[in-house]
Amino acid sequence: MSLLEGGEELERELAPVEAREPVAAPLAGSLLLHGVLFGGLLLYGLLGSLFHHNLWGSPGSGGAIQVNLVSSAIPLPADQPPNQNVLSTETPSQAPAEPTPKAKEAVDEKAIPISGKQVKKPLAQTAPKTQQHQPQPQQNNRAQYGEQAGSSIARAVQQNGSSGPASITVGDFGSRFGYYVDGINRKMATSWYKPEVDPRTPKGARVYLTFTIRKDGSPTDVQVDRSSGSTTLDRSCQRGVQRVDTFGQLPSAYNSSTLKVSYYCEY
Amino acid sequence: MKAFFRILLHSVLVLAFLAAIELHAQDWVHTGTNLGNDRIRVAAADLKPVGADPQTPALKAVFDATLYSDLASAGIFDMVSKSLAPQATPGSPQEMNLAQWSAAPSNAAMVVFGALSANNGRLIVYGWLFDTRNTANPQVLGKQYNELASQDMARTVAHRFADEIIYRLGGGINGIAETKIYFVSSRTGTKEIWAMDYDGQNQHQVTHLGSISLSPRISPDNSRIAFSTLGREGWAIRMFSLDLGRPVGFPAGTAGGSNLSPAWSGDGSKIAFSSSRSGDSAIWVADASGGNLRKLTSFRGPDVAPCWNPRTNAQIAWVSGRTGLPQIYTMDIDGANIQRMTDGGYAVSPSWSPNGQALTFSWNRKYGPGDPGGQDIYYFDIASKRWLQLTHESGSNDYPSWAPDGRHIVFERTVGGHPQIWSMLADGTEQHQLTHAGNNQMPNWSWK
Repeated sequence: MSLLEGGEELERELAPVEAREPVAAPLAGSLLLHGVLFGGLLLYGLLGSLFHHNLWGSPGSGGAIQVNLVSSAIPLPADQPPNQNVLSTETPSQAPAEPTPKAKEAVDEKAIPISGKQVKKPLAQTAPKTQQHQPQPQQNNRAQYGEQAGSSIARAVQQNGSSGPASITVGDFGSRFGYYVDGINRKMATSWYKPEVDPRTPKGARVYLTFTIRKDGSPTDVQVDRSSGSTTLDRSCQRGVQRVDTFGQLPSAYNSSTLKVSYYCEY
Repeated sequence: MKAFFRILLHSVLVLAFLAAIELHAQDWVHTGTNLGNDRIRVAAADLKPVGADPQTPALKAVFDATLYSDLASAGIFDMVSKSLAPQATPGSPQEMNLAQWSAAPSNAAMVVFGALSANNGRLIVYGWLFDTRNTANPQVLGKQYNELASQDMARTVAHRFADEIIYRLGGGINGIAETKIYFVSSRTGTKEIWAMDYDGQNQHQVTHLGSISLSPRISPDNSRIAFSTLGREGWAIRMFSLDLGRPVGFPAGTAGGSNLSPAWSGDGSKIAFSSSRSGDSAIWVADASGGNLRKLTSFRGPDVAPCWNPRTNAQIAWVSGRTGLPQIYTMDIDGANIQRMTDGGYAVSPSWSPNGQALTFSWNRKYGPGDPGGQDIYYFDIASKRWLQLTHESGSNDYPSWAPDGRHIVFERTVGGHPQIWSMLADGTEQHQLTHAGNNQMPNWSWK
């Protein structure tokens, strides 16, 4: 009996819906519910963007790292980019040899001149008509692509004779105290702020400075020796030297009280 | 007689001329950018033990390890691993074969070597620094030490030798191997002032007040520590003499209200601190003896945590809450020329770099509800107002303090509720934990 009643109930359940109840209200409710659900999701996303975002590394102000400091004032060595130079050597290749001068016609000085015959005068020894060597004006504002700044310092000049103080010649500072010269380069690399230079300055422009290092290592008498043509580059390089408190005490084995330095900053 | 005077005059003139030549004799060096700013590759050879004293091996082990770690943590060297060193151990310049060291695999530009012996309770160390690329005049440095034979002394001698090397090769900036770090530790139950070597060795208690002591600041001459401590009248600035080993008076720091966070000027003549004796917490300055007290700030809102520009001693950076959340400001020592440094967030605990160009402080850039931003250490360039984040996603970081070389920073990092002292290079690399026992806070690096 109960089984039969259950079957009847099932039959009623399976009967067409429209025959049993109206569909509009539940359908509307369901649509409303879904609408609210999607709206909520949308609202959550919108609101979420107002709060914390993990903008790590993005260029905007919300990022966590801002690394392009104007100054590299931390006195730690910076990583140098690899050299892009394609040339293997700085020395230019050998120019072709000059043509050998034509052999002079031999003139027999002892020969008796034949009367009436015009004597062929030997050509006067004029200097070869080459242009006198004019020093090329240095064009500082020209970009020097692909040129590697090689080390101009002889690091291991073999000195003959004893290495005692008696054999010291003026001008061998770079070979005797190479580590000190390296120290100047390191110090300047951290104190010269390249972003101070006008970006329109051509790459490779160089300004040459001279300055004097006192016994205690402090620089003095900073002067522009050869301008780069860019005042901002000149000034930034000068400031770079002036920013240095000390390059370190001059080596005690160095006899003189000051050291003259010629330094260039290359943009 | 006349002839004699003439000769005398001539010889004087000649001498003067020679002297003038001597005066003008100076070398020229031609150099420029792009000529190398890489780290110096340094090999530290083990010292050669000399003699058969039973103490020698232990002392040598301490010396070798200390010297290597000092040079490695200096931040300017690329150290040659000991396993790449040549087999032979040179003990003197005669035994030194530079070609062996400059060749692969060690490729060293500089070699540190020497000899160590213990004799009748004395520790004798000979040390040299050689430039391998300069075969004619390789010696950069030669040193001899003669001290009592003990492990502590071996470590001290190694620190001294390392500092000499760092001074020579680091562009005239003194090394920090002999500096100390002062900090607050609660490992005895109460918060007391402690001290340790810069590498975390030799940690020992300084004060025994049985109260709560905070923010130790060592004087530039290493003779006194100023700190704030909780006494009968509230928070007061106290002074502890390291020479006498006991507290000494500082009358300016004991008036009513909370007196906190002292800071020495670079010449050691003045102390700035924050005090709420006149209402709001403000920055006050007094002489180191405690007299000549004056108030620098008078704004609504708290002003705390001053620190001096150690290069000029004419400016103070501090934390002010005048606009709500704490921000870093700077001003001249007469209270004028106030400039705001940070643009938002929650910025505290400034420390001014030894060269005067930068600040370091603890900053939560996105402070507020719904934002789990971290409290991190930042490097802040004063001239350009640009900054560099030094710590990332590791605990809560606070109380940075510059080392005197401007290359290192010590700070407090709290992970899991336990604050500990860490040190790092000023670009955020090479972070090392220095303390492990108990809770350790508020480090301060000594001036030398």
